[in-house]
Amino acid sequence: MGSIRRSSFLCALLAVSVATVGAQGKYKVPRTADGQPDLQGYWTNLTYTPFERPKELANKPFYTEKEAVEAFNKAVGESQNQVVHYVNTDFGATPVQTGAQPNLRTSLVIDPPDGRIPPMTPDAQKREAARAAAERGAGPLARSWRDDRGTVWCVFHDRAVPSVTAPYGSNYHIVQSKDYVVMIYEWNSERRVIPLDGQPHGTVPMYAGDSRGHWEGDTLVVDTVNFNPKRTFMGSPGTPPAVTMTPAFHLTERFTRTADDTITHTYTVEDPATWTRPWTVEMPMHRIKGPQLEYACNENNVDAFTTLRNARAQEAGKLAPPDRVRNVDDPKATVIEREETGASKAGEAGKAK
Amino acid sequence: MTRAILIAVVMATAIVSAQSGAGRASSGPPPYKPPRTASGQPDVNGFWQALNTANWDLEAHEAAAGPVLQLGAAYAVPPGRGVVVDGPIPYKPDALAMKKKYAANALKEDAEVKCYLPGVPRVMYMPYPVQIVQSASTIIMMSEFASAVRTIYLNSTTRPPADTWMGWSNGRWDGDTLVIDSSGFMGGTVGALDEEGAVHVRFLDRAGNYHTEALHVVERIRRTDADHLSYQATIEDPNVYTRPWTISMPLYRRVEPNMQLGDFKCEEFVGDLVYGKYQKK
Repeated sequence: MGSIRRSSFLCALLAVSVATVGAQGKYKVPRTADGQPDLQGYWTNLTYTPFERPKELANKPFYTEKEAVEAFNKAVGESQNQVVHYVNTDFGATPVQTGAQPNLRTSLVIDPPDGRIPPMTPDAQKREAARAAAERGAGPLARSWRDDRGTVWCVFHDRAVPSVTAPYGSNYHIVQSKDYVVMIYEWNSERRVIPLDGQPHGTVPMYAGDSRGHWEGDTLVVDTVNFNPKRTFMGSPGTPPAVTMTPAFHLTERFTRTADDTITHTYTVEDPATWTRPWTVEMPMHRIKGPQLEYACNENNVDAFTTLRNARAQEAGKLAPPDRVRNVDDPKATVIEREETGASKAGEAGKAK
Repeated sequence: MTRAILIAVVMATAIVSAQSGAGRASSGPPPYKPPRTASGQPDVNGFWQALNTANWDLEAHEAAAGPVLQLGAAYAVPPGRGVVVDGPIPYKPDALAMKKKYAANALKEDAEVKCYLPGVPRVMYMPYPVQIVQSASTIIMMSEFASAVRTIYLNSTTRPPADTWMGWSNGRWDGDTLVIDSSGFMGGTVGALDEEGAVHVRFLDRAGNYHTEALHVVERIRRTDADHLSYQATIEDPNVYTRPWTISMPLYRRVEPNMQLGDFKCEEFVGDLVYGKYQKK
């Protein structure tokens, strides 16, 4: 069943995507009743573009339009080519189904010019190595609901700010008043309230940081500090490993409507306690159809109960360890692949519950 | 809306009007004309908060000891004159029995304890600020509690595409009054949650007043001066009540110049409570 649906996907894709890549030129940004550039509506930044530039494309920051479409379709194809355990396609949730578009860029990181995140400082390398070792030392089984070992953590969804590669659900509903821009991120319904009134930053840390925005011509410029140090940045498959967000972490973003159906979103990350220089990402946001419904993560967190219950059962020797899985969240492979493939095994897994 | 319900709503509105003095003869000052946004709507932007005991008990109540002995006077129940306009809440007999049962088991059954989304109208009178951000087509209402968000679709008649905890809200302006019609609510948790995570109905307050998934709420919000909103909600649920009934209260502007919603991501505070049984000791 899956193969029929997927091939019809790809045909449709080739037809629409070329036109989208070609849409360029001087665009007159629509204005709200308050006279501000209008960023409102529903947008996705789901993408198949690698976060860092692949080594083989080291000297090639841009594709031609033809190459961009080919790369896009190849990535879509690869993401479908696996033994299926849990398939986001069936939920209409994969990037290609949600509105992801080809990108002329060969990586989301656009500065440094090689498209790679700059090296960490020696102190940061030690700090992150110690954190990773502590994680490993804690073993594979979830001990508490706080552990990110198969449990879903509903306190905050850290892909919301700063934006990074996601497998699905990376959609934004933007609403503006004269004094505020509100961005509601679909995953965990994370909301971000950006005051435009020129007040100085507050001092209390917040998970999404403390944002202040202002307009520069057609561009919304947002300055964010005071990220809660209990969270991390990156760490999704498709991005480099998670790093601590130190009190020095400073995010500067620019949102510019560059077409009716596109917002160009760039951000610069600066944290001298972690990296040797600032670096910049460009993630286009493409218009999608609303509405965006409530996520309600905490209200139905069956996953946390199941994971913890099973972990305790495994410790007590009452339950065999599960099959190994990988690519749980990979945007290019939003399915879980069994280590041993085969229809009979997959059938057993279905019954195991 | 059935005819009986319509009459009840009209009556409730009349009672509220009489109480607020709006129904009196023309001797008073002219009604407040709220400033308008650039798109021409009455401006209800800002941070608003209830200052009453509705979240403890919508109905009139005496002060009482709190539910946890160790917290002493710090979390005792303050007295309140009630916010129900046409009370007592018209429970069906079996539903009243259930309310008493739920009230006795509030620490297990109240979604607030578990940091679940509080629903409507409760989110509007919890002891947390609500920020309203108003655009030409959409009004966003955000509570500090559990980062709850309501999206009000103006001039929409869309039916709820799915049930949600905060419901689906269509809004319209009736003169200077924002009228919000909400339905499509969850009536409790679903799926294979353990009992520690489950709630079976949705509480309207900590006293066990409750509703089910049949809830339908019509709110009327009007700015009465620079720093106050008049807030009314008519609550209908044929599973629980014999007729619609109405609550009414002012909401106060948080006037602090540096006002901002903070993080109250309360799952952090309840994870050990809800999942504690299965955590490694």
